[in-house]
Formats: sequence, C-alpha cells, structure tokens
Amino acid sequence: MKQRANITVARLRILVLAVWLFIVLIPLLIVILNSFKTMSELRFSPLRLPEVFQFSNYSKAFIEADMLRAFGNSIWITLFAVLSIVVFASMAAYPIARGNPRWSKAAFFYFLSGMMVPFQLAMVPLYKVLNSLHLIGTHAGVIFIYCSSAMGLAIFLYSGFLKTVPRELEEAALIDGAGTFRTFWSIVFPLIKPISATVAISNSLFIWNDFFVPLLFLQSKSAHTIPLSIYSFRNDNMTEWTLLFAAIVIAALPLALLFIVMQKHFIQGLTGGAIKS
Amino acid sequence: MKRLWINGLFMLPALLIFTVFLIYPVISSFFYSFTNWNGVNLVPSYIGLDNYRELIVDEDVWNSLYITFYIAIMLTLGSNVLGLILALCLQGSNWIQKGLRVWFLIPLLISPLAIGYIWNYIYSPIDGILNMFIEWLGMPGQDWLGNKNLAINSVIFSIIWQNLALSMIIYVAGLQSIPKDLYEASDIDGAGLLRRFWRMTFPLIAPAFTFNMVVTMIFGLKNFDIIFIMTGGGPAGATENLALLLYRQAFTFNRMGYGSAIAVLMFAIVLIISTLQVVILRKREVEY
Repeated sequence: MKQRANITVARLRILVLAVWLFIVLIPLLIVILNSFKTMSELRFSPLRLPEVFQFSNYSKAFIEADMLRAFGNSIWITLFAVLSIVVFASMAAYPIARGNPRWSKAAFFYFLSGMMVPFQLAMVPLYKVLNSLHLIGTHAGVIFIYCSSAMGLAIFLYSGFLKTVPRELEEAALIDGAGTFRTFWSIVFPLIKPISATVAISNSLFIWNDFFVPLLFLQSKSAHTIPLSIYSFRNDNMTEWTLLFAAIVIAALPLALLFIVMQKHFIQGLTGGAIKS
Repeated sequence: MKRLWINGLFMLPALLIFTVFLIYPVISSFFYSFTNWNGVNLVPSYIGLDNYRELIVDEDVWNSLYITFYIAIMLTLGSNVLGLILALCLQGSNWIQKGLRVWFLIPLLISPLAIGYIWNYIYSPIDGILNMFIEWLGMPGQDWLGNKNLAINSVIFSIIWQNLALSMIIYVAGLQSIPKDLYEASDIDGAGLLRRFWRMTFPLIAPAFTFNMVVTMIFGLKNFDIIFIMTGGGPAGATENLALLLYRQAFTFNRMGYGSAIAVLMFAIVLIISTLQVVILRKREVEY
C-alpha cells in the first residue's frame, strides 16, 4: 500500500517538474531561435529552426541601440554602485556590531528604516535633490540612488553576520598596535566575505537589470544603460521582434555566463538573507 | 573619546549617502504631499489637505487600489503555492533535481523589461505563439493583453513566471534545513504523506514561509517594471496599480504634489500589511 503511494508521488513529482520546465524553457527558446530569423520567418514559422541564421540581427541590434556604449555605462554603474555598497555598508556595520550599545542601536534602527520605505516615496523629491546637486543625467547620481536604497538591507545583513564573528583576532591585532582602520581591512573584512558575496550578487542582479531608475534619471542617449537600449526598440506600430530578441540575448549573456561560473554563490546569494543558518 | 571619533568616521559615508538620497527625499515627500508642486516651480505653494481630499474621491485611485491588491494577493498565492510545490519536488539532491534548481533560476537573471517584451510577443494577437497554440488545439484565440478581463491575469502570470524560482529556492533551503531524523521518526509513526506535510513539514518551514509571504506581498504591492512594459496600465486602467498611477500623475501630468500624496498612501499600505503579516506569521513559527 505504502509502496504504491510512493510510486504515485514519484510520478506526480516528475510530471510537475516536466510541466514547469516546459513553461520556463519555451519562452527562452523562442527568444533565442527567433533572434536569428527574418521578420517574415518569425511571423509564419515561429517554432521552426531558422532557414539561414541571421547573425546580422545581432550586429544590427548592437549598432542601432548603441549597445557598446550601453554596456560600458551599465558595467561602470553596476561595478561602482556594488563596490560602494559593499565598502560603505560593511564599514558602517562594524561599529554597529562592536561599538557602544546605545549609539549603535540608534544607528541600526535608523538604517533599518530604509528597508521599509518604498522607493516610490523618495522618487519625486529625489528629482529635486539630484537637480540641485547637478546630478540629473549623470552616472554618479544613479550610483548614489542605488547605494542609498540598498544600504538598509546591506547593513542589516552585515551587522547580523559580524555578531557571529569572534572578536579575539581583532583584539589581538589592536594590542599589536594596528589601528582600527587596518584591523578592519586586514582582519575583519576577509572574515565576512560570505555575506559580501550575498550583498554583491543580489545587488548586481538588481542594478544591471533595473529599468526604472535610469528611465527617470538618465534621459540622454549617451548615458543609456542596457535596459534603456532595449527599451529603444519598442515601437507602438510595428515592433521588430527579431532585433529586440537579439538585443535581449546580448543583454542577458554576461549575467548568464557569470551565473554558469558561479552557480553556487548565486544560489547562496539569493537565499543568504532569508534563512537563519 | 578617540574610539567614538573613529566609529563616526566608519559610519560617515553610509550615513551621508543614506540620509541625502533616501531619508531626506522621503521626509520631503510627506511635505510635498501638502503642496501643488508641479516639478518646475522653485517654490511649491501649500494647499493643506487638498491632495488627500482629491485622493478620496478620485475614481482612478480606487480602481488602482483594487488592482494593486488583486495583483499582490494573486502573486503571493501563486508564487507561494507553486513555489512550495516545486520545492517539495526538488528538495532531494540527485543530479536532475540539482540541475533543475539551476535551470529554473534563469528567468531571474533577465531584466523585468525584457521579460515584459518576451511575454508581449507570446501574448500578441497578431504574431504571438500562444494564440497559434490555442488555435491549433481548436479553441478561439484571445486578445490576452487587450481584453479588459484577461489583461491583469496575463500580466500576473508573467510576473510569477519570472519570480517563482526565488520563492522556490528559499523553500528548498528551508526544507533542507529540516533534520533527517524527524522524517525517520514520522516514518516509524506511520504518518501518511499529507498528514506528515501539514503536521510536521509545513510548521518546520515556517521561517521560510514568513519570509516568502512578506517578500512576495511587498513585491506585488510595489510592482512596476513588467506592468509598465506590457500594458502601460491599460486597457482603460485595467492593469493600472498605484505605482503606475503615481508615475502617470507625477511624471506625465507633472503633478508632483498629488503624486507624493499617492506615494504616501502606498507607503502606508505597504507598512501596515507587512507589519500585520510579520506579527501574524511569526506567531506560528516553532523552534526545533
């Protein structure tokens, strides 16, 4: 009796997985296949292999949307923002986890409040803030925005992790005469690498793919990021799907490669903040 | 004394960026919601509670409130039920299960903007493949995004399609943290599968459940990108949630003051609902 129930469950399990795999893969396959077709092929035989692989779609998409420049901009923004988040958040979390309990608690809750507010609430006045600092349309402005909105969660994760790191090593370093600054960078920072990976991965993913902040604050074409350059293919009357799909594949390629190389870190990075281990 | 100074120095960059680019704008948003600022004037003029009075009688606001909650609830239900089912199928560690856990994550790597376009193509009544498939089955094709009743569900499905793996992977992590001997104990007790799930497994993954419920709910309440790309709020406001209405009022009509009032409303909703959820869900978490 029990045996039979187990077999049914196992079959059901395979069925569920197969169905969802199908639903996940079909749209992805369609994008890749159709990015190599002509528009008329796409219209009349969207599911067949392309007769001739139209690699020109890729070069055309790349040139028309100025994607080389967009790549440069996206890499620059993502790299700089993620680096600032990791450096500044870990530094701020250090005295919060180690310092005077009263002060650090106040600072902790101040930063924590940043996790509660939706970005939309800051959005309208941010325009004015950036304007008065002459940061509208600049990468620096966007980097500051990503940095500030990620700070709450990042400091929360860092200070939680720091509390599990033993103090003995730092105290030994301090007694040996190393300053707080050197102690932090040479002793503490290497110890908290796992949580840095979590913070860096989840933020890179978000910033690389984010469309909303650049839409609002990076209007000029020369400052475009990858999502904005994909956005430029949209045409209300006639969308050139083949070019759009090629652009989507180009945009997703770097993250896909990174994902294949660092699967384990990615999965840990995504679950890291959720489950207390 | 020196200690305090150094601590301050460590916190300074984060404090400065966080305050100038998040806390200050948030606080001034409350202030602007009492003005008629249009984004151009240097000095907005104070109009008291007028924006909030307008909010209460604005048909668009009531409509978008309904849409916001509909999306958030369907998304929360969909991602958590499906995510948990997938996680239960994937909790083992043979190579197929390990491989599928990775494959299912791929949509998460793609920009929501691209996801919106991909599904726009699939749903398209002219050259979309969904209709092609349905007509092949002998049923009539639908205008998935143009039909007022269908549009919102079509959009929700695309959002679930992209984000399901996130809920799934967190449930997998929760399931894997359950000690093996508990399963063995329940085998000896002879508990049936369903019974074991409700009595043992489900209570034990409560932390993952709490986290997923809160995260998907907040994500659903604030969702913007995919909806903006797929329908822009249409047809006739059928998919316009608060985030899209806020965007339209603030940046299309340049009504920054009114937009701020909508943002304050959104904040209140997110705050109340996520606090309620945490309080209720934390109660049923058990220690083991």
